[in-house]
Amino acid sequence: MSKLAISRLNKSFGDLEALRGINLAVERGEFISVVGPSGCGKTTFLRIIAGLEQATSGEVLLDGHAVRKPGSDRGFVFQNDSLLPWRTVLDNAIIGRELAGPVRPADRKDTMELLKLVGLEGFEHYHPRQLSGGMRQRVNLARALAIDPEILLMDEPFAALDAQTREIMQTELLRIWERGQKTVLFVTHQIDEAVFLSDRVLVFARRPGRLQAEVKIPLPRPRNLAIKRTSEFVALVDRIWRMIEDDVRAAALYENT
Amino acid sequence: MSVPSQSVDTAAPVSPAPPKAAFETLLEILRQRYLASFLSVAGGLALWELISRVLVANSLFLAAPSQIAVAIYNLARTGQLGHHVGVSAAEFALGYVIACAIGIGLGLAMAASATMKQALQPWVSGLYATPTIALAPLFILWFGIGIWSKVLVVVTLVLFPVAINTEAGLRTTSERLIEMLRSFGATRRQIFLKVSLPSAVPFILAGLKLGIGRGLIGVVVAELFGSRAGLGNLISQSADAFNMPDLFAGVVILAFAGIVMTAGFGWLEQRLVPWTRD
Repeated sequence: MSKLAISRLNKSFGDLEALRGINLAVERGEFISVVGPSGCGKTTFLRIIAGLEQATSGEVLLDGHAVRKPGSDRGFVFQNDSLLPWRTVLDNAIIGRELAGPVRPADRKDTMELLKLVGLEGFEHYHPRQLSGGMRQRVNLARALAIDPEILLMDEPFAALDAQTREIMQTELLRIWERGQKTVLFVTHQIDEAVFLSDRVLVFARRPGRLQAEVKIPLPRPRNLAIKRTSEFVALVDRIWRMIEDDVRAAALYENT
Repeated sequence: MSVPSQSVDTAAPVSPAPPKAAFETLLEILRQRYLASFLSVAGGLALWELISRVLVANSLFLAAPSQIAVAIYNLARTGQLGHHVGVSAAEFALGYVIACAIGIGLGLAMAASATMKQALQPWVSGLYATPTIALAPLFILWFGIGIWSKVLVVVTLVLFPVAINTEAGLRTTSERLIEMLRSFGATRRQIFLKVSLPSAVPFILAGLKLGIGRGLIGVVVAELFGSRAGLGNLISQSADAFNMPDLFAGVVILAFAGIVMTAGFGWLEQRLVPWTRD
């Protein structure tokens, strides 16, 4: 049985058809990215799986159970860090467990371990305003991991970071993923990011948002940044770019008018 | 230079400065932050002293700062000042606490339900804009010249800014943060307690701060209309007797109370909501 099985998923906002007929099967431990031009519904797709948005029709099954509302089997990593400014790093990271019930010393210990894993050891008692953008996204990731979800849903988590920090965060994410082998669904508009991280890249098209193609990434693991300079990598990025190029141009034009 | 100079390498860890240097640093900080304010206040007081002694040398119109200081000392010595301050403070404190409790409650109710907001909004907005202090004579008629008429005046002045700010604070809770909590399966109650309420605290504090000035005005003006004791009473009696030093004594004490309470709130804000500073 697939970890995540999506069949005939449709979503409309009034007259606007955001997603049409999406079918997808994700295996346990897979790292899947979704790329596409703005307006292709990739974030809506992720939000439906998270239970933050209701599908108009179709089905999302996680471990065979239908998804209708948010739950602790899914960890969501937001584009903006969405940290609570009055809470420390530790208290932010632990919030998922706190919502589930009283926080036990074991929860604190686990969360401290996670903060160490994402490279925030020693910053547990800092407040978000004292951290850099990259560090805040690390807390964002630790917060999602802290509920030990079946699947990690990541919505352009590195989009707001500068190029260098983004590359570091990509390798860090791979390091963490390779340790825990969580199933990850990662939305991004950066093709090279998707290729670098993923086992498979789903290419979405716009108007209506639909799954246009699926590209397997046969690059060996573990991967490091040097792989981005190999001809194989560049060829994959190029292939995906050519798939969405016309759509991206249309989207850019549409957004400017 | 005969004195060994400090390391110029700014990347090196800062070694603890010797006590003398620390004291000099403190003086330097004080000079940078407060010198201009200090000179301005001291200059203002000196000018006031000069004008009241030389230009308006008539104690029926103006009292010099030195005379006011003496008046405060004498009023304090005889126990009169303590009595007046005590009465006014009790009126203010009672009215302020009642107003905050009701105001925060109203704000919560308005934020919780749209119908509630529609029903209450015209009253709250209308009464906030109304100078309800004009009702003070009426309240005195109803509740007598004791403290309760003043308490009521304070309540009507402080209640509405607190209610409005509480409601605004709860209403403007970041959608992003609510969404984040929702993604972790939070209930409505958890969203309220863990996001809406904490993020409304800076607004509520701003409302409470606004209430201080309004409450003090309420106490004094209500006392001017009719009272047995209190700083407003001291001021009006001193005015009747053309006792300018005592009149100014009352005003200075009020100004001091306002400054201290507002500064106290500033300190409280830094402690409770430090994330709003930047």
